[in-house]
Parts: sequence; structure tokens; C-alpha cells
Amino acid sequence: MKKIFALVFLVFLFAVQFMNAYGIQRFPKPEFESGYVQPETLMPNPRAEVLAIMDIVVLIFCLSVVSWLVIKKRSRNKVFWMSLFALAYFGFYREGCICSIGSIQNVTLALFDTSYFIPLSAIIFFVAPLVYTLFFGRTFCAAVCPFGAIQDLVAFKPQKLGARLNAMLGVIPYVYLGLAVLYAATGTDFIICRYDPFVGIWRVNASFGMFVFGGLLLVSGIFIARPYCRFLCPYGVLLNWTSRFSRKHITITPAECIQCRLCKNSCPYDAIDMPVTGKNPDDKRTMGRKLIFITFLIPVLMLVGGWTGSRLHEQLAGVNGKVKLAKQILNPVSDKNQAETFEMEAFKSAGKQQSQAFAEAADVLHDFYIGGWILGGFIGLVFGGLIAGLLITKHHTDYTPNKGTCLSCVRCVDYCPVKVT
Amino acid sequence: MNNSTPPDKTIRFLHSIAFAGALLAFMLCILLSVNYFQVKSSDPLNSPVMKAMVEKFRSNPADEQLKAEIREMDLFARKSFFTRQWQIRTGGYILLFSVLVVIICLKTAELLTSKIPSIPDSTTDNFWDLRKINRKWVAYSGIFLVCVSLLFAFLTHNELGKTLQLTGNNPGLAADSLKTDKNSKTALIVSDTVTTSDSTSAASGDSASLSQSMDGYPTQQEINANSASFRGPGGNAVVSQHGFPTNWNGGSGKNIKWKSIIPLSGYNSPIVWNDKIFLSGANATKREVYCFDLNTGKILWQTLVDKIPGSPGTVPKVNPETGLAAPTMATDGRRVYAIFANGDLIAIDFKGQKVWAKNLGLPRNHYGHSSSLIMFRDLLIVQLDQSGNTSVMAFAGKTGEQVWKTSRDVKISWSSPILVNTGSQSELMLVAEPFVTSYSPSTGKELWRFNCISGEVGPSLAYADGVVFSVNDYSKLAAVQVGATPKLLWEADEYLSDIPSPVATSKYLFMPTSYGTMVCYDAKNGEKYWEKDFGTPTYASPMLADGNIYQMDKKGVMHIFKADKSFTSVSESPLGEGSVCTPAFFSGKIIIRGDKNLFCIGK
Repeated sequence: MKKIFALVFLVFLFAVQFMNAYGIQRFPKPEFESGYVQPETLMPNPRAEVLAIMDIVVLIFCLSVVSWLVIKKRSRNKVFWMSLFALAYFGFYREGCICSIGSIQNVTLALFDTSYFIPLSAIIFFVAPLVYTLFFGRTFCAAVCPFGAIQDLVAFKPQKLGARLNAMLGVIPYVYLGLAVLYAATGTDFIICRYDPFVGIWRVNASFGMFVFGGLLLVSGIFIARPYCRFLCPYGVLLNWTSRFSRKHITITPAECIQCRLCKNSCPYDAIDMPVTGKNPDDKRTMGRKLIFITFLIPVLMLVGGWTGSRLHEQLAGVNGKVKLAKQILNPVSDKNQAETFEMEAFKSAGKQQSQAFAEAADVLHDFYIGGWILGGFIGLVFGGLIAGLLITKHHTDYTPNKGTCLSCVRCVDYCPVKVT
Repeated sequence: MNNSTPPDKTIRFLHSIAFAGALLAFMLCILLSVNYFQVKSSDPLNSPVMKAMVEKFRSNPADEQLKAEIREMDLFARKSFFTRQWQIRTGGYILLFSVLVVIICLKTAELLTSKIPSIPDSTTDNFWDLRKINRKWVAYSGIFLVCVSLLFAFLTHNELGKTLQLTGNNPGLAADSLKTDKNSKTALIVSDTVTTSDSTSAASGDSASLSQSMDGYPTQQEINANSASFRGPGGNAVVSQHGFPTNWNGGSGKNIKWKSIIPLSGYNSPIVWNDKIFLSGANATKREVYCFDLNTGKILWQTLVDKIPGSPGTVPKVNPETGLAAPTMATDGRRVYAIFANGDLIAIDFKGQKVWAKNLGLPRNHYGHSSSLIMFRDLLIVQLDQSGNTSVMAFAGKTGEQVWKTSRDVKISWSSPILVNTGSQSELMLVAEPFVTSYSPSTGKELWRFNCISGEVGPSLAYADGVVFSVNDYSKLAAVQVGATPKLLWEADEYLSDIPSPVATSKYLFMPTSYGTMVCYDAKNGEKYWEKDFGTPTYASPMLADGNIYQMDKKGVMHIFKADKSFTSVSESPLGEGSVCTPAFFSGKIIIRGDKNLFCIGK
């Protein structure tokens, strides 16, 4: 009965989407000589504020329920149904906006641009999942994030990726986070939203490239569980850091681990840490030397990263509107048949001087130069931190979820033969 | 865990549905991709067939069958475009639905299938080895990232920051930097080597013609001695004659030689050749050309402009401030030429007889066509900057035969052409967004262009001492050094004009604005010397004569002041009625078209 209800609900949402689709086709208006009067353009009303509050209420509700299901009920099935609800609401109904992942950019822009008014919902969507994670682990990823939900649906044959691939791909989210913050801080772009791979699915409307990107992620998601969450999501980085300090993280076994290892293969995300009981082949002295080395290496890595970032600042700034405009002024359209860009037309209509446009672009370049140093320094720090983290080992005897990377999906609990008595 | 025996039949059925759904989804993906690329490649508004048909129709606007065919094709193209879009959207929904079916089936099958957990091989669980591998590959990733970043930075480095810094400090360098760009079209190569002229006066003939009288067209001396086009010789607002009055009063009649009623209104300015004054007028029902006697003010003849083949039956929609007869006439001393807002072009001899006439097609101009005519030798030059299909063309003055026509890659404009002698050759200079463009007036060949203006350009160019000045409201005032590689000398945007045109000397540029402020700049470096608010809007363009600037305001008061570094008023002479037309200067007399009357001012 529940399944039928869920199916009917989804079909209803699709139907609503389908009706809206006809209203947004755009095409240049034909020119009439016959005195035909163009109908007045109808503008949609802004979204009611109460609906924004409803989004917040739904978010808090979902976080609370999912956290309860994960920590107390330890029910994979219920978590799965909640993820379907989140997919329907935050994905198809809200069309992926507002989302916590993108809210990073709103918060960043608000910090760097005092003229930007950040909506309350953006703040809540940024903060609330982090707060819940601090208490209960990444329950947001488990069943509240529509990105995770849609990828979870297609994870039919998840394969283990191996340590090498995991290590290499695992650094991408940090780079993506750094870039997203840099572009938002400079007021250049919200790249997380621009390259949202699933927005085309939520809205049945996106560029061809984004459809292809989203489709490829879903197809690869059949074999590599949640590829976006694990190897791209910039918000996942923040959740990963926060979750390491979570007070009540999900445990695989409710009592003593019997070392059956059944849970090890259940996790499609390679997020279960095996017991560390053996002796470290490196003696204490060697380990100490390695730690001292990495401690000194981290500032060097930051410097190298910062310098590299600063070398890239012109390329990074290339997508900024002011820099693009300056480039277009310097290299005007050479092909007579090629239409001038909107930016160029706007610049000409505004009657601004070229020198002003160049000065503004130079300011942006300077911002990116500083930003390049910070971004590179951050990435250097991340690499150093990751290597240092892999040196430090905490001995434990049970198979335990890795607090940082575990997405609290509760799959492993189903496999554990030890049950609550 | 569910340990009951799985209902194999149900699972097989679910797998079959999932397979069918996946197959459908796959096929839809292919079809949608093909459809997408088809939609992307087809632009119904710019299909070559349609363009060819439209072009054909333009040359023959009376072809009703072709018009119907174009409309039918346009409708078909639009229908096809929208149908494909609909197909993509609907296909997208079906694809989404089929994927949903696949997921539901597979998930249900998964739920019905009991899973036996496997115990992982303990030999792979070497924790310390895994840690070591992780550390190594994180380090490799870092090295790879740094190398790729540096390689990318090295390969794509273009010193943009330094270029911007340099050009920001000296905007002129922007143009210089463009010249080094192989792809740049901002500065075109001039066909002939041009040296900078020291001459401050405009010249509509080349140097060879200056000292020679040639049959069929006037000498330069004759041109300079008359006022044969809008803003005098060459259309550059500089009068080489002397002895013009600086004080008059239309109310008291002081220095007013005569005034005569003009039958039909028009915003074109008078032109003068010897003892004859020419101007035109029009209303919704008729268009006329008038010839006034310079000495008496009497109308010598008036010629009705009608029965022109191809002339549209409907009255063009124009702005009241432009009217139906905004372009100023031109003369070569043999004939006078007039153009009207409906595209009628006519040549009339000095006795008022029509020599030839033609219609150039209804100018697609939402304010009304207003570019004035100008003569180069025996060629009548017409600037036709309209919405699409802009061009400049030359007709033989004697026969009306088209001698050359050059398409212009610019937007619509209301400015008028100027003819200048840059020292070694005559150049026809036109302005419209986005270029100041120079053409050879004898062949129509484009000599160079410079990207420096935007918007709906109304003011015409001013030229002096190798520098051409362009201006438009909401754009900027730009001083461009003409030559083989034109370059921006300076620019300003504090005071801009949307109607009156500037006038320049070798030292100064006098910039009027339609709201009544006159500004004087250093012509070479753009330093602002003074500004003067006359308090009354002005549409007429200033003229330079006798070392004075004559600036008429809309109320009909002529503000006369020294063409100098500091503002020195000479006089303010009221006409007694409003005026928006630029005065003509001839032989110690100033001819002014008022709102209703034509005035002759003289001592």
C-alpha cells in the first residue's frame, strides 16, 4: 500500500512538472506589420515566503526523523523510504533549489559581499545539516539530500574501487570546494549550481551537456555507489570534517562485535574501518620522524600550492564577467557573421569607458591572485592533512564505520548478526 | 533478512519489465540526442533559403506571391522548430518515466531476492599496507595536480593582468594592443599610405582637384564658396569664408534681410549655391523641394516630389522630432538632390525640373530616416543605415545610375556623412554603432574602421588635423587618429550628445549637448577647458565661421562665442522664433530655417 501511495505521489509530481513545461518555451517574437499587438508578457509571482519556511520545516523534520531512524531504529528500509520522500520534495518538487550543497556559495558570498542579502533558508540549509551531523553523523547524506537519494536508487551493483582510486578521487571534493568558495567569494559564479548534474532531471530542463553529465553519473552510479557524494560533493567535505566529532554516530553492531566480517562487504562506499590490532611495521622512532617530517612538509605544500594557484589566477579569473568583457574589448569579434555577446552589447549601451572596464577587470584579477594563493594553500594543507591523517593510527578492535566517510545509510546494520536484545 | 524462497516467476517478470524499460530508455536517449542536434543545427529565422527569398523580395517588394511563400516557409520553419522542442520535452518525460519503471522493478526484485552475505577474504585486510598505498596515492595525486596546473598555466599564460594594467592607465593602448592581434578587426589596413594632414578644413575633393576646374562637377573653391550640404563644405561645420554678422534681432528686424514662410515643415537645413537657397518639406500627403531667392527671399520655384516608381503608398511611421523631411539636401551646382523618410530620392535642376527620381525602398527606421546627402565630385552619396541591410551608396548625379554600393556592418543610425581630405586622399567618413568607418568616396571601398561608439547614433562626425571625433549619448566621446592604423587618442563621457554634432579645429573640440551645454576640449588630449550651460536645449549643430562658434538653441537664440580656450561670448541673437536646424553660411549671409520661416541674416 505504501509503495502504491509513493508511486501515485511521484506520478502526481511529474504531472505538475509536465504542465509547467509548456509555459517556458522561448522564441524570438515575430515582427508584424499588420498592427498586431503583442500580448503582455506575464511574469510569474515570486514564491511565497511561507513556502520558504515550509522548506526549512521539512528539512528539520527530515533531519530529525532520519537521525532517529538511523541512531535509534537502525532501520535501512525506513531510511530508504525517507530518502524517497526527500527525493520527491527537495528534488522534484523544489527542483533542487534550495539545497545545502549550493548554500555554501550563498554563505560565502554573504561573507565577502556585504551588499548581498542571504535568505534565511540558505543559512538554515547550510547550518542545520552540519549541526545534526555534529550530533548524529551524516544522517543528512543518508536520506535527506536528494543528490544522495537519486544515486542510492541506482546503486544496483556497487563495486569496491580499491585503495588507489579511492585515494586519488577522494581529493577532488576538496579542490571543488576550494574553487566553489573562490568563485563565490569573488562574485564570479555559483559553480556548484551551474554544474549541478541532477538539476536537469529535477526540472526536465537543462543544457545537453548537463544532461549527459547527470546521465553518466547515474549510469556509473550503478557500479560505483554515489559517485557524486564521494568524489565531488563539496558539502560532503564539511560534513566529513564535522562528522568526525559527532557525538552519537551509528554503530554497526549494537553490542560487542563478533568479528564475523559480514558487514565489510555490505558497505558500498568503502566506509567501514577494519580493526587495527596488529603492530605497526614502523617503530615509534620512525613514526615520530615521519610525523615531524609531515609537520614541516605541510607549510611547504601550502606554499607550493599557493604559488601554483597564483600562477593560475588569470585562467581561473577567465570566467568572471568583468574579465571576459575586458578580453572581448581587447579581442573584438573578428567574424562579421558572429553576433556580439550580450556582455559586450550591455557594455556599449551603458556607455562605460574602456579604461573603467579594464580597471574593474584588473581588480578582479588581483582578487583572483590573492584567491589563487589561498586556494592553493588550502589544497596544499588538505594534501598534507590527508597524509598526516593516514600516518596517525588509533587502535580499535571492532569493525566500525569511518565517522568521516560513513553516509549513515544503515546497510551494514542489516548484515550484522548481532541484534538488540 | 528475508529467507523465504523467492518467487522466481515474479522476479523474472520484474526483470523483463526492467529490461524493456531500459531498452526504451536507451532508444529514447539516442533519439533525443539526434533530435537535440537537429534542433541545434536548425535556426528557422536564419535559414539560407529564407534569407535568399527575403533578399529577392527586397529587390522586388511588389511580388505578392513571393511574400506569401516567405510567410508560408516562415510558419513551416517555426512549426518544425517548436514541434522538435516539444518532442524533446515529451521524450524527456517518457525517458524519466521509463527509468523510474526500471528502478522500481529492479528494487522490487532486489527486495524479493534473499541475499547471502559473503565473508571477505581476510588476506586483503592488511591495514598497514592499505595505509601506505593511500598515502602514496594521495601524494601522487598532489604532484599530478601541481604539474597539470602549472602546465596549464604555462600553456595558456597571456599576461592579461599586465595588458589590463597598461590599457587601464592609458586607454589608447587598448587600440594599440589590438593592432598586434592577428584576429583583430578593429583597425583595418588602409589601402593607401596616408600621411597626417595639417589642414584644419574639410575638403570634399582630392588634392588634385583643388586647383582644377573640371567639367561636370564643381571645383573645391566653388564648394568652399558655397554651402552645398549639411554643415557646409564636406559636412564638417567649418566655414572658410569671412564677414558674417554676429548680431541680429528677429523681433526688431536688426540685420534681418528678409524672412519668408516655408510652405511645408521639415527639419532639414538650408543649402546655398550662388544666389539660390534650397530646402525641402513634407507632410503626410506630399513632399516638396523649394528654391528661394537669396536676395529677396521669394520662392523661385517649388517642385512636388511624386510619381516616383516604387514609392510606398503608406506614410512611414516617424518620430515627430524627426519628421518626414529630416535629411538636408545637397547640390553640385548643377542639380539639387533631396531624400525623404519614405525613401524617395530625387534630382532637380536649378529651374525646378525633375531630372531623375527613384525610391530606395522604405527605410526601416523607427524614428525616421535623417542622414543627409553629400556630393563627391559628380557622385551623390547616400548613407542608409537602417535596421538590417545597412549600406552606403553613390549615384551618378546626372543620371541617377548607381555607381557603387557598399554594405555596412553597423546598426541603424541617424548621423550624416562627412568628406575630408586627410592630406593624400579624400575619405568619406560615416559613424554608426559600433564603428567610425572610412570609405573611398570614388569607389566605396572601405579604407578602415574603428570600434568606438555604441547606441542609436545621431550626431555626425567632426574632423580636424587628422583626428576624427565621434560622440553619442550613453556611449562616449572618442577622438580617433585616422591613418593606416587608426588609434584612440582620448575619450570622455562626461558630456555627450544625442542630436547636435561637434565641431573641431586643430586645437579645440566644441561639443554641444541637446540639453544646452557647450563644452570645449583640447582636441589632442581631451583636457576639458570650459563648459557653458546656455540654459536652453539645442538640436541644431554648431558652425565655425570667422573664428566664432554659432550655436542655435531651440528657442531660436543664436549663441555666438569665440572658438577659443576660454569662453568669451560675442553675442546672443534672437531669431524671433524657434529653430532646430543648422544654419547655412554664404557670402556674408547666414540662412536660418526657423520653425515656420526662412531667415536671411546679413549686415
